[in-house]
Amino acid sequence: MGKPSDLLQGTLDLLILKTLSIEGRHGWAIAKRIQQISGEVLQVQQGSLYPALHRLEQQGWIKAKWAESETGRQAKFYSLTAAGRRQLDSETTQWARLSDAINLVVQES
Amino acid sequence: MAIWSRVKSAFRNLSPKRRVAIEDELEDELRAYVEMVADERIAAGMSASEARRTVLAEFGGIEPVKQAMRDRRAGVGFESLWQDARFGLRQLRRNPGFTLAAVAALAMGIGANTAIFSVVNAVLLKPLSYPDADRMVLFLRASTLLASNLVNVREFHIYQRQTSVFQDIAAYDIAGPGFNLTGDRPEQLHGIHVTEPYFRLYGAPVSLGRVFTPQDDSPNGGNVVILSYGLWQRRFGGDPSVVGRSLQLGNEPHTIIGVLGKDFLSDPAADIWLPFQFDPASNDPNHFFRVTARLKPGITLTQANAQLQLATAQYHRDYPQADPKQQFAVGMLRDSVIGDARNSLLLMLGAVSLVLLIACANVANLLLVRATGRSREFAIRAALGARRGRIVRQLLVESLLLSVSGGVLGLVLGFAGVRALLALSPAGLPRIGQDGSAITMDLRVLFFTLAVSLLTGILFGLFPALSASRIDLNSTLKESSRSGAGFRQGKARSLLVISEVSLALVLLICAALLIRTFIALRGVGPGFDAHDALTMEMSLNGARYQTAAGVDQLLRDGRERINAIPGVEASAAGYWLPGDVGDNAFFRFVDRTTEKGCCLTKWMSMTPGYLGLFRIPVLRGRDFTENDNAAAPGVDLVNEAFARQFWPNQDPVGQHILRGKRVESIIGVVADFHNSGLAKPADPMMMSPIAQVSDGYTAAYSNIQPLFWLVRTRGDPQPSIPAIAEQLRIASAGFPVAHIRTMDQVMGLSTARQSFNMLLLTIFGAVALLLAAIGIYGLMAYSVAQRTQEIGIRMALGADRDRIRNLVVGQGMRLAFIGIVAGIAASFALTRLLSSFLFGVKPWDPAVFVAAPLILTAIALLAVWLPAARASKVDPMQALRAE
Repeated sequence: MGKPSDLLQGTLDLLILKTLSIEGRHGWAIAKRIQQISGEVLQVQQGSLYPALHRLEQQGWIKAKWAESETGRQAKFYSLTAAGRRQLDSETTQWARLSDAINLVVQES
Repeated sequence: MAIWSRVKSAFRNLSPKRRVAIEDELEDELRAYVEMVADERIAAGMSASEARRTVLAEFGGIEPVKQAMRDRRAGVGFESLWQDARFGLRQLRRNPGFTLAAVAALAMGIGANTAIFSVVNAVLLKPLSYPDADRMVLFLRASTLLASNLVNVREFHIYQRQTSVFQDIAAYDIAGPGFNLTGDRPEQLHGIHVTEPYFRLYGAPVSLGRVFTPQDDSPNGGNVVILSYGLWQRRFGGDPSVVGRSLQLGNEPHTIIGVLGKDFLSDPAADIWLPFQFDPASNDPNHFFRVTARLKPGITLTQANAQLQLATAQYHRDYPQADPKQQFAVGMLRDSVIGDARNSLLLMLGAVSLVLLIACANVANLLLVRATGRSREFAIRAALGARRGRIVRQLLVESLLLSVSGGVLGLVLGFAGVRALLALSPAGLPRIGQDGSAITMDLRVLFFTLAVSLLTGILFGLFPALSASRIDLNSTLKESSRSGAGFRQGKARSLLVISEVSLALVLLICAALLIRTFIALRGVGPGFDAHDALTMEMSLNGARYQTAAGVDQLLRDGRERINAIPGVEASAAGYWLPGDVGDNAFFRFVDRTTEKGCCLTKWMSMTPGYLGLFRIPVLRGRDFTENDNAAAPGVDLVNEAFARQFWPNQDPVGQHILRGKRVESIIGVVADFHNSGLAKPADPMMMSPIAQVSDGYTAAYSNIQPLFWLVRTRGDPQPSIPAIAEQLRIASAGFPVAHIRTMDQVMGLSTARQSFNMLLLTIFGAVALLLAAIGIYGLMAYSVAQRTQEIGIRMALGADRDRIRNLVVGQGMRLAFIGIVAGIAASFALTRLLSSFLFGVKPWDPAVFVAAPLILTAIALLAVWLPAARASKVDPMQALRAE
């Protein structure tokens, strides 16, 4: 297994917010979801996932509550807050602008 | 909003209860994660234990993730810093020996620095306590023969016209003759003459009455006087009706017109102020006062000096006979107040920072030892997820705790130390007040000590912290707890000890050079005998002493009375003490034409018996006698230096010189004595009988400075003092004598600065030696403790005890020798900077360069011997079994 690509600084937040925009999930589900959707390219290290979740929670963009998982274990489920939804919108726009710009540069040369 | 929520969570996170709750929840969450992933793998067919192991391995362990999250929590910076500090304090408390040693070394280093800096602050850094002191300038005069800041009336009037660049141009006496407050409690008062703008220039506050008006300061201004606050309290009990009353000065009434404020510190200090009342037409050639002024706003020193160049040119047009090299200029008043104290203090500051460096090296060494002992602790912390920065920070916090405690202790030590030192040795430094009372602990000193403490904390802490945090987890955790210091650390510690030794040697050599200077100065025969001689000053106020005849009469009468006192061997009088003659006189040759400006010589007038009293031999010709009076032909004595310079290879006795229009004959040659300080050879000097001095000069002296009465007694002069003072009061019709000192005391004061320098550097050198010895001892003792097993094996294999001891001694002394060689090299380069402080000894004095390394070697040997002896007593059986 090759080393997973390092995520661009700050993009992990966007990925988490995006993953949570459909429904609330617990940490493991968030990591799994990102991995699946990206076609196994993006592997979220647990050492970065949990600090990121905490950071987002402290910013007030996601909230957490304990609930039972599909396998019957107690897990912490995260979901977007209203502020988080606004943040997701603005980060998505910003990302689109950035990736367009990078594409332009890359294809030009 | 985001910021607000962060602040809120920061506060929440600081509460301990909340912190525990967060930690628990985190633990649960992470466990749930691991369980869920494991569940999935078990479902996929993995065994339960294998599933858990692989998840944890991928996860990287639960603790590191928890630590990563803790580090990101809001407010965690403060919290963990606080943790580090508390942990550090616990660590320091657990090792009281180490802590004590480190804090003591630092307190010594920082204390010495604080002490010296507090003096530097008072002398060099604090502004003068006058308004706009940074614009105050002192007028200077250069000519062919001498540079001086003394001014005569004619030049003062030239300065007064330079109003385009200066304001408040004021003249004042340098010392003043003193004033006799007569009446029922006679007392010599210190008074200075000033011109009218003086009080405005110095911003003197007025408590009562007023200061001088231009009218008071004019030739017919009358006898008016202004009192200091201290004198007003002392003599008048602070009576508010004192203005308008009369003060008897030298039997002449003066009207008190004002009292100055309590906080006014004049330079020179004074009890009373009188107006100069210069005659605008005065042709008095004597330079006897100083002139200061304030630069006009926006005018620079350069602009002012350019203006004075123009004034100089004008002066030479007006007075074509004047010395063509004569030039006017101004310099900052502060610089002249500080004088040559700056160099002394900078030397001390340099020396004291070396002491601090040695202390730092010592503490760094101690920290390295401790870091080795704690390497497992750091490895475990790293394994639990502490980043390298955290470990470095932990260690830095500990070293800062040490340095700040050392700093606090050093502040107290340094402050007490500097007071004690100045009480012990007066130092002759300007601006420090009585016994250093002006040296205060102000914000600048506190800030300096704080900055030095923090800086040293980082300096000695950073290196051990970086080296300790460079950990190879695997090997450190696997090694047994006994494992010794790594090779690199050993080298670092040796390097530290070597630099300590070399720095200590530099200080030791400097101290030794200054000690030799002091001894050389003390060994200088001044050329006169100061033992059992008394000096006392008298102010000759009043009309009687404006003429040579009046002064001569007092001197004859006074000496007759003193000589009649039992125990008195001889008496004399003069305006200067032999070790410090401050006046110069012009003369010309009768039979030679000389260029303009020639010839200047040191000059003093004296009564007959002056030379005999100081046992200064007259080599050729004769001494003055009572018959060399005003009616007799003019006669002079000259010293050998004078004879060599002006009559080389000829006998000056019998030659004639012109002083003004008067022809005087040289009647004798006097043996040279040190007439301008012990460190300088005798200047050419001429001496005249007081009785033959012109009335103009006599009046000038009476108005400028006090007269010295000199008495030699058989044995201790102290018991004769009251009788002498009483007889002189009768002779002078009521004048007191002041500043009664023995000549031995006077001579002691003349070497005060050198003795202060020597004392300080000797203390610094001793501290440095002690610290270096502790450094070597610590290193060797530690290395012996580490190598007990190796020594045991050597012994088991047949090495005898002497051999073991020599091994340890050899290793320790090798470091000492390297340090000594480096120190000698550094000293060769550095002592040249010291040369202006040295007298009678070369900067590379061979005796010093041999003795100082020998002393250091002896001390180092002692420091190495103790651990070496311990090594040779190792019991091989025990050493081997201990493992």
